[in-house]
Amino acid sequence: MKFKLKKLGLLVGLTLAATGSAAADETTGLTDDAIKIGVMGPFSGNASSYSKAEIGLMAYFQMINDEGGIHGRKLVAVQEDTACDPAKALAAAKKLIYQDEVFMLHGNSCSGAAIAIKPDIVEAGLPWIVAHAVSDTISVPPVKNIFHGVPTGNTNGEAMAAFVLSKPGTKNVAIVEHSNDWAHSYTNPARAYLKENGVEPVAELVMERGQTDATAQVLKLRQANPDFIIGALYEAETAIFLRDMKKYGLDIPVMGTAGTDLENTLKRVGDLDTVQNYFVLHSYVDNLDGPLLKKWADMIHKYYPDEALTNFSYISIGSGVALVEALKAAGPDLTRAKLIAELDKIKALDTGILSSPITWSPEERRGVKSSAVAGFVDGEPTVLKAWGTPY
Amino acid sequence: MQTATGTLSKRRRIFWLVPLIALALPLLTNPYTQFIANAMLIYTLVTLGFSVVIGNLGQLAFANTAFFGIGAYASAIASTSLGLPWLATIPIAGLAGALGGFLASAAALRGIRLYYLAIVTLAFGELMRWFYTHAGALTGGTDGLPVPRGRDFGLALSSGTVQFYVFLAITCLLVAGTVNLLRSRIGRAIIAVRENEIATASLGIPTSQIIVTAFMWSGFIVGIAGAMFALHTGRVFPESFGLTQLIVNFAMVLVGGLGSVVGAVLGAVALTALPEYVRAFPGMEEIFFGVIVMVVLLVMPKGLASLLARFSPIFQQRYHRD
Repeated sequence: MKFKLKKLGLLVGLTLAATGSAAADETTGLTDDAIKIGVMGPFSGNASSYSKAEIGLMAYFQMINDEGGIHGRKLVAVQEDTACDPAKALAAAKKLIYQDEVFMLHGNSCSGAAIAIKPDIVEAGLPWIVAHAVSDTISVPPVKNIFHGVPTGNTNGEAMAAFVLSKPGTKNVAIVEHSNDWAHSYTNPARAYLKENGVEPVAELVMERGQTDATAQVLKLRQANPDFIIGALYEAETAIFLRDMKKYGLDIPVMGTAGTDLENTLKRVGDLDTVQNYFVLHSYVDNLDGPLLKKWADMIHKYYPDEALTNFSYISIGSGVALVEALKAAGPDLTRAKLIAELDKIKALDTGILSSPITWSPEERRGVKSSAVAGFVDGEPTVLKAWGTPY
Repeated sequence: MQTATGTLSKRRRIFWLVPLIALALPLLTNPYTQFIANAMLIYTLVTLGFSVVIGNLGQLAFANTAFFGIGAYASAIASTSLGLPWLATIPIAGLAGALGGFLASAAALRGIRLYYLAIVTLAFGELMRWFYTHAGALTGGTDGLPVPRGRDFGLALSSGTVQFYVFLAITCLLVAGTVNLLRSRIGRAIIAVRENEIATASLGIPTSQIIVTAFMWSGFIVGIAGAMFALHTGRVFPESFGLTQLIVNFAMVLVGGLGSVVGAVLGAVALTALPEYVRAFPGMEEIFFGVIVMVVLLVMPKGLASLLARFSPIFQQRYHRD
């Protein structure tokens, strides 16, 4: 029995020694003709509409490949589904890092999933460009291998509040939001910005996901009589909220998040009258069907002909442009350290798609520091810098 | 001819053989496959706890994810707020889960049964999810609560391999505990309530208390699984304990075999591992999951456990629900 126990102990000891974590290899995932890039997104589950962000990014990779790749190497995307679920995202990240052995990671919608995988990615040390999830927790405080390639929650929240206050005479602001991290990532910085500017919300209301009636919220807002409403609601609930506002004759402008799409909201509510006072964060240089975005729309449709384009389809492409710039600059003898160094040299990069340039440094990894707004002006979707000021 | 004692002895030997073989598993894994293996152990307990209520007791219930969440949050809160090492949070998570089991089933003491009790458990689950989200000061709200993964009593719990051995030990203890419980007087009373509550009550058995006991044992096991889940993922979020989790847990019990301990292990292992194989086809996971569940239930209505029982009588269980 003693002998058996000894054997067992030896087995466990050997196992522990054999499976100790190894330091990341600088050229893992690289071959002479390919760079393996792990692209994680919610390809299934109830947030799968966000996976459009990853589709846009992969279309961009394919376009780069068709143009000859970078220093003779093609960008090979390895997709993994996170379903916006932290545990599934962890499995996906571990698979990409340790089984598929990718060179770097790019993508990720859903802040909760991104926050959950952050410790593992920090430990593994491979470069990770966050291309859709917005929580500042992902890139603050800055760590060596994580870069944020979209406006973060703080930037978005401040942009929402700044737009609201840019309307002359705005003194009373109300907030309607979901009770989840996504909504809070917009409304908390918006609250802070309002406070800095001497404005306290006159009403703060919750509308839960899946709610099909907003009468209670609308009636409370009628009592509070705000000049502007900040609405951190998903698209379906936004449509319900706007519908009920119209039903009860509440004609107050509403500032929505980047999680809703202006044209889609119009489609959902069915009439322009209901959405004419609705504004959304818009991270791009033009309207979705504007001439400046047409080349990107054509690019996505070239590789994914059946893809229905929405606000999310374009969001990851800007960080893809920054990645390609850095890979070009890193030269043919690519390593992870070289890529990280080159990403840190990206300064005021005009991506041709994001409304604000990308700047990264070792001290600040939130690369996009402002966002435009879109709304209907004279019945036409228009990109705005501030109230009444076209982009 | 095989005697009952002989079969029991063989079953016991097999019961201990499986974890002994599993000890060598980390030799064959990388951190990703190790993560999945650890998840299998967690879901074995989740399924086992759920199976005690819906399989052995025969009460439709929806509070399983609530117990899972209560255990996970109890462990995370005890680690972060009280600074306790993770290992010390395990009994806390178990007791918190058992308390959850009591609260979810307390209505049974007033004679509430079947679908009415099922609705009460559903409401309890939703109430807990609301609590995780809105009690931000305690639970971290929607941002979740991080779980420190340092060294506990000399064990480096940040390592997936170390987690595996700890989880394996806990799982073996709780599976053995459940098998013993089901063999005991209480266990037999639980089965009797499932078969005929009125007849059971006529024998002088307090059936309401038996129902509450089954829920509390279920909550205890699943609460401990929650503590393991908290360590496994490093952070607990409210959305981890929602409807999707409940559906997956339900499917694991049904695919494994209602009320079967072996089935709980098989269902958890199968439905944790198989979806990983369709990762290569993004967006297909839900379809694949649904098809697997339908096929298994069509071909083997008594679950995977019945397949094993067909090959060897030692896998036949008295507590399995026909």
